[in-house]
Amino acid sequence: MFLVLIMFLSSGCARGNKAIQIKGSDTMVNLAEAWTEKFMEKYPESAVAVTGGGSGGGIASLISGTTDIAKASRDMHHKEILLANRRGVYPLELQVASDGVVVVVNPANPINKLTIKELSDIYTRKVKNWRELGGPDRQIVALSRERNSGTHVFFLETVVKLGQKKNPNEFAADVLMMPSSQAVVEEVISNKSAIGYIGLGYLNNRQKALAVGKDKRGPFFLPNIATVKKGEYPISRSLLFYTNGTPEARVQRFIDFVLSPDGQEIVKTMDFVPIK
Amino acid sequence: MKRTTEWIIEKLIFISGIGSIVFVALIFFFLLKEGLSLFASVNVFSFLFGVNWYPISEPPQFGILPLILGSLLVTLGAVVIAVPLGIASALYVAEVAPKWLSEILKSGIELLAAIPSIVLGFIGIATLAPFLKNVFNLPSGLTALAGSIMLAFMAMPTIVSIIEDSINSVPRSYREGSLALGATRWQTIYRVILPAASSGILAAIMLGIGRVIGETMAVLMITGNAAILPTSILQPVRTLTATIAAEMGEAVSGSEHYFALFAIGIVLFVISFIINLVADFFMNRNKKRNKKK
Amino acid sequence: MDKLPIKMKAVDLNAWFSGKQALSKINMDVYSNKVTAVIGPSGCGKSTFVRNLNRLHETIPGATVEGAVFLDEENIFKPRYDLVDLRRRVGMVFQKPTPFPTMSIYENAAAGIKLAGRVPRPVVDQAVETALKQAALWNEVKDCLDKPGIGLSGGQQQRLCIARTLAVRPEVILLDEPCSALDPISTGKIEELIHELKKEYAIVIVTHNMQQAARVADFTGFFLLGELVEFDVTGKIFTAPRDKRTEDYVTGRFG
Repeated sequence: MFLVLIMFLSSGCARGNKAIQIKGSDTMVNLAEAWTEKFMEKYPESAVAVTGGGSGGGIASLISGTTDIAKASRDMHHKEILLANRRGVYPLELQVASDGVVVVVNPANPINKLTIKELSDIYTRKVKNWRELGGPDRQIVALSRERNSGTHVFFLETVVKLGQKKNPNEFAADVLMMPSSQAVVEEVISNKSAIGYIGLGYLNNRQKALAVGKDKRGPFFLPNIATVKKGEYPISRSLLFYTNGTPEARVQRFIDFVLSPDGQEIVKTMDFVPIK
Repeated sequence: MKRTTEWIIEKLIFISGIGSIVFVALIFFFLLKEGLSLFASVNVFSFLFGVNWYPISEPPQFGILPLILGSLLVTLGAVVIAVPLGIASALYVAEVAPKWLSEILKSGIELLAAIPSIVLGFIGIATLAPFLKNVFNLPSGLTALAGSIMLAFMAMPTIVSIIEDSINSVPRSYREGSLALGATRWQTIYRVILPAASSGILAAIMLGIGRVIGETMAVLMITGNAAILPTSILQPVRTLTATIAAEMGEAVSGSEHYFALFAIGIVLFVISFIINLVADFFMNRNKKRNKKK
Repeated sequence: MDKLPIKMKAVDLNAWFSGKQALSKINMDVYSNKVTAVIGPSGCGKSTFVRNLNRLHETIPGATVEGAVFLDEENIFKPRYDLVDLRRRVGMVFQKPTPFPTMSIYENAAAGIKLAGRVPRPVVDQAVETALKQAALWNEVKDCLDKPGIGLSGGQQQRLCIARTLAVRPEVILLDEPCSALDPISTGKIEELIHELKKEYAIVIVTHNMQQAARVADFTGFFLLGELVEFDVTGKIFTAPRDKRTEDYVTGRFG
């Protein structure tokens, strides 16, 4: 019985080796799938498999050798790099696009702009009512992504901890942890008191994006392709690919495509920001 | 020839029987091996009774008391909703509804079981959460109560079909004996049929609890997942299962966080085990009472 | 015969199971303070007949009925007739002993009384004791009234069911093959009991045991294929039947 099981597993691996495996950031799943579609049109003999699981999941897969590319919406942690090196994996980082994390509220909310500090206060629950920010007298419902999300970690480091590595701030325990960007979107649409954050690609006209400024004096910037690309919008980040050392040829061909004008055009159509 | 065949069949059955036990044991040992590694660096007491769950902070905090209480609260709520509703539905289907209607209802209830929990979760986010928010005037409808209601619906098919079966297996003679004494249909149901079906009802409740406490996706989507010590069913909660589901993808294999999630798995395993034990105890007691001379 | 007080009277009674006729045009009387036996081969409709006397027949899905049954000159099939009242006045004991499984001996005997509403405990105690004594069970169970009813022997269980029925103080008792699941000693006890009970009640007993009918019944009706072939005093049925079919059956020439 065990022999059969092992045979199944190993045959599964053997088949998997032919396709390029891309795992990781959920933020990048749709983008990666769009790339894959066009790439396979161009090279019909190739196969690419895209799965989500969060940036951490992708990196964990890279370390355990079960993916060719880990897509990540955050840098690898020092600990992760050490663990990788111990397992004989030497991650190579490559930026493939940029992303702005959009802070959204219900369109009925009169607030239009907030500073990073104010956002941090909201998510640490130092500020609990919209009135304290000049809004209506309603308790703030703060929505976060789950901890498996690269966006969660990025928002934690950039906003909650104010971009300071040693800052002790944390998401307050009663911040609602939403399992997907779609869930954040749904709650913001239906709840006038809610505030949440999502990738630029998820923004639609049923939520209102807030302009964000580094401090009270401003300037405040609305998230869009131009402000993210210029680095004006304060909550923007790089979208990354990690490979184990220099990738083999079939993987390199995919990466070349991603960085080509065609590939970067796709980035634009998926509402992310191209790097070139 | 015949003997050989019998020997082979006997051994095959033996192997499959042992196999299932071996698999459970292997799973449990794997869980133990990974989970217990946590306690090299975190002490058991602060794990079980700690109130802060910050697994990816520096330094991390692994207190799962809010998660345990969250799971228990959601489960308790679901049971309180599902059991009376389940008994009532089962009675209606088995005893009251005309045959054609009860056939339709039965397939309807079974259909409920076929809806994937993630779909129920999305329906819950889009409809139930806003509804609860308005009714109770809450900041957000993503609460333990929303989870309980959703889970109650998911446990209903199990509960209703098992209770219905046990009601139907109450011999007709008991029913007639009661009717012949001048009992009304309702008196017959609650004086004779329900007591006679009680062990089946108990089994249904226990299986329902098992289904509810292990359910993950719907709970992950609709309870808000905030790891706070719940003081009311109208607050968001984070359950044990939702925590594992939400964080396993992020946890680096071999890290403290990863071990902590396996340790949560052990806690879930123990809770389920206790539920089964309690169920067994009650059912056996029932059987003995019936046999006693 | 006509001078005897009539307790129940079936008039042109027809009954069906899902369209299949089980009784056709039954006309038969049940007399006060007499035992009436209903005999006939299996499937002849004798159980269906008694199950119409307390309207239990129609609780089976698909069962229908037509005609009339009078209890003290009131048709029990008339619209809005109180079924609860009917079944308290016309008690029934079944073929298989059916004590309620979750109840003690005491609770079983008191079950019928308690259904009627709140009754003070001493009154229930008294009724239970009287019923158990009437059913000749009191001496055997008086020390273990709180033990489960299904822990008793088959004969005791059946007498418990009789006690349960008696406790409600009915006027008519229907016994549907009450001894077919019992050993000869228990059967003897029940038959003695029937002799005692007819002083107070009208009794109808369904039996496929002709000796039993001969021993306990004052009147006997012979059913065949859903019809009442012959009805007369028991002695006449067994010694000088008018119908050839009755004669064949009572002399054992029937399948």
